[in-house]
Amino acid sequence: MILYLLTLVLLVFIAPILLSYIKAVKMVLLFKRPISLMQGYRNFSKLLTKETIISKESSAITHYAPFLVLSPLLVTMFFLPPVVEGAYYVSFVDAFTITGLISLSTFFLMLLGLDSASAFGGMGSSREAFISALVEPAMVLTIFSVSLMADNLGVGQAGVNLAQHFPKEHMASYLFAGISFFILLIAENGRIPVDNPETHLELTMVHEAMILDLSGVYLAIIESASSIKFVIFASLFASLFMPFGLEFSAPIAFVIFILKLFIIATFVALLEVNTAKLRLFKIPNLLGLSIVFAFLSLITFYVLGA
Amino acid sequence: MFIFDTLSLVFVALILLGSIPNIFYSTGYLPHIKRKMHYQIHYFAFIGSMLGVVVSANALLFLFFWEIMSLSSWQLILTEVEDKSTIKAARFYFLMTHFGFVFLLLFFLIVSDGNLELGFSAMQLIASKFAYPSLLFFFLLLGFLSKAGVVPLHVWLPYAHPAAPSPVSALMSGVMLKVAIYGMLRFLLDVLYPWPLEWGIVILSLGALSSLVGVLYALSEHDIKALLANHSIENIGIILIGFGMGMIFDTLHLEVLSSFAFIAALFHTFNHMSFKSLLFMSAGAVLHQTHTKNMEKYGGLIKAMPVTAFAFLIAAISISALPPSNGFLSEWMIFQSLLSSSHMENISLKLAIPFAIFALAMTGGLAIACFVKAYGITFLGLHRSTNAKHATEVNFLMKSGMVLMAGVVLSLMLFTPFYIEWFDKVFVSLGRVSVYAKIFPDGVWHMHSVGMHGGMVSPLVLLLSLLAITALMLFAYRLFGVKTRVHKTWACGYTSSAKSQYSATGFAGPIRRFFNWLYRPDEHFDKESVAGHETKFSSSHYEVHVQPLFERVFYQSIAKLTNTISYWVYRLAHFEKTRYAAMIFNIMLLVLFSYRLFSHEFSWALAVFEILVMMTSVKILIIGDKK
Repeated sequence: MILYLLTLVLLVFIAPILLSYIKAVKMVLLFKRPISLMQGYRNFSKLLTKETIISKESSAITHYAPFLVLSPLLVTMFFLPPVVEGAYYVSFVDAFTITGLISLSTFFLMLLGLDSASAFGGMGSSREAFISALVEPAMVLTIFSVSLMADNLGVGQAGVNLAQHFPKEHMASYLFAGISFFILLIAENGRIPVDNPETHLELTMVHEAMILDLSGVYLAIIESASSIKFVIFASLFASLFMPFGLEFSAPIAFVIFILKLFIIATFVALLEVNTAKLRLFKIPNLLGLSIVFAFLSLITFYVLGA
Repeated sequence: MFIFDTLSLVFVALILLGSIPNIFYSTGYLPHIKRKMHYQIHYFAFIGSMLGVVVSANALLFLFFWEIMSLSSWQLILTEVEDKSTIKAARFYFLMTHFGFVFLLLFFLIVSDGNLELGFSAMQLIASKFAYPSLLFFFLLLGFLSKAGVVPLHVWLPYAHPAAPSPVSALMSGVMLKVAIYGMLRFLLDVLYPWPLEWGIVILSLGALSSLVGVLYALSEHDIKALLANHSIENIGIILIGFGMGMIFDTLHLEVLSSFAFIAALFHTFNHMSFKSLLFMSAGAVLHQTHTKNMEKYGGLIKAMPVTAFAFLIAAISISALPPSNGFLSEWMIFQSLLSSSHMENISLKLAIPFAIFALAMTGGLAIACFVKAYGITFLGLHRSTNAKHATEVNFLMKSGMVLMAGVVLSLMLFTPFYIEWFDKVFVSLGRVSVYAKIFPDGVWHMHSVGMHGGMVSPLVLLLSLLAITALMLFAYRLFGVKTRVHKTWACGYTSSAKSQYSATGFAGPIRRFFNWLYRPDEHFDKESVAGHETKFSSSHYEVHVQPLFERVFYQSIAKLTNTISYWVYRLAHFEKTRYAAMIFNIMLLVLFSYRLFSHEFSWALAVFEILVMMTSVKILIIGDKK
């Protein structure tokens, strides 16, 4: 139980660092002076001390939606697979619930975008609705495929099963599912080929456009929600597709887990430096790729058993 | 005469749960209606006849109540005739519902051997002796699915449901469609059992198709009631996916999975009743206050109508299948039964079912987009018309109807185990395996899938943890004592106005553009340029209309074909008597020749000779000389 709580605390603390790390890596590669890894915390504490400005057109949704964006993600964190073998994990929640909770958070985020009567908010919500509608089938199919290899649909249980029996005999379908999930990780977190989190031009924004009218504590909440979403996806990827290093003693296993998170973040950063943001109507091609890989994974599993 | 087994009682409960809050709402809505007596008589006849359909025990009574249900709802659509489109919608509905009725009548005439007072249990014997059971199955499909609004028989639904007064739309969409599902359950499980594998596959594919088509057309709609009507098509599709999986599992002798899938379908039937009624009620409240169905004229209504807005939000979360709502739970069950297809041995089925999973998941994603649009454009932002600006909350009776219906939605969420146990009894009474103990093996907290590596969900735990964490954060926020300031919306230095925010058409824009090959929209864009500039214009107008593909392809082409045939009949009809005599002679020749050819003996030489004789006689006697 202590290890379980420790994992939770670790994930919450590492979430802003991961995003700052991605940014720092990108800056190094672009020959800029990198920001500190603590930048996420600095932003957070600065936002907390600022006053909150609320649009005069906004309604009760603006007052409650930021909390409802964050709370499903926080609930999801309790359900992630264990980091150390033998640690407690929640076994009664399956992957559908987790995708559902993430959609719930997105639902309120989109409403938030429409609440302040700003053209940019509506634009962001509309685009986000488009992208997340296409993410959904890929997500479900990938989950299905992974659950076949892990012999369980429960996220925690699947992580444990994969760590105990690495699916050597199903490497092909495992790899396909991994590719599909990585594309989803990028799309769901609004990283570069899909959305640019650092853009300063409102016309190209997706996620940032929805929260353009937020400030102060509300903005801090939404920012932490997006960093927590990233850490959820990264740790799901780490547990489901890099299921090794759990058998060591707790401190070493934790270090390995953190390393895995940073490796994923590095990959995301490298991808961001090397690709340009896609046009909105090219995004379905990328997500279609993810759907195709998920189908391929299922078909190879069924037909070839590989 | 009447039957009160568990299946009937469950549907009686469904109708009562759907109509009691509706009666409150309808009473509140009454001052808005001019022909009060006409409305009330048909309204209560409608509810009564639906109850009659689900408890009648022989074919005659069933058809009698079915017809009263159709006729009273048809009259209810005609309560408020404001424009010609209402009459057209009512006529279309009348036609489609009787199209289905014909097939039901044929079905009953065959399975009851002409004696329409025969009980349902006696029908099974006759049906099992009938040589073409698939024919009976298709009669059932055409009869019930034209009522339920399944693709391609769904075309009347987006016209008829919006045309009716709002309480009636809620009843039609929420309850009447479920009566058709009752018919499917009753006659497929009781009368036409056992099934071949193909029937289940037909129902599954119809379901997958309907769910996708329904949600796609809902997205392109900006008439709020038509949007909801299209969502009914989608949800009936989801119910049929569960239903079809149940049938497929049954033919493959996976009894436990079959019961699970049927329970999922029945649970979704209940859920759809609850949230769709609530959605129609709150949409009706908005319509009542703003006097328009066009979503582009709404906006900012959450401030004036908080109760309505909250009711709509609950229903929207539930219909979008977001946890921990009841819609999520039933959709979860249907997903679980689809995922259990990995137990099958039939490899082609195993490979085909992921496509149904894809359709269902895509539907879920698009439904979220659609309800963000419906909620955001209607209730959030700035008012887009003066009517929306002056809207106020509806009267107490309408509000209490909505609150009661929200209670039904919440009860389906909170007391899921209780409902599931009840649905389980239905299928046990129809000779299925009981699965309640497998779904809830250890108490009511965790819901298990019955598949081998199935998942688990804990609705109450989820709800409590979500509430607790949100409350904790809100408490911390209050404790923090943040300074807030109200200021105008940031719009890059410009002022934001009702015109500059996103419209419903704009919101669905990316999706409409992606599915352009399906929608083939009719776009009108006029602008008046200033001094010949391309990008500067004083006024502009953009309109986009989506023509339903199925209506265009099936219905209009059938209409065209009928027109052509009737033209030729007309040309033949105005002849002198000798030609009529010649036609009769030719038809006799045709009958005699074909009798000899098909039943007596066949030889090529004679066939060619007879065809030549026919052609000559037709040419000389009927067509004659070309003028």
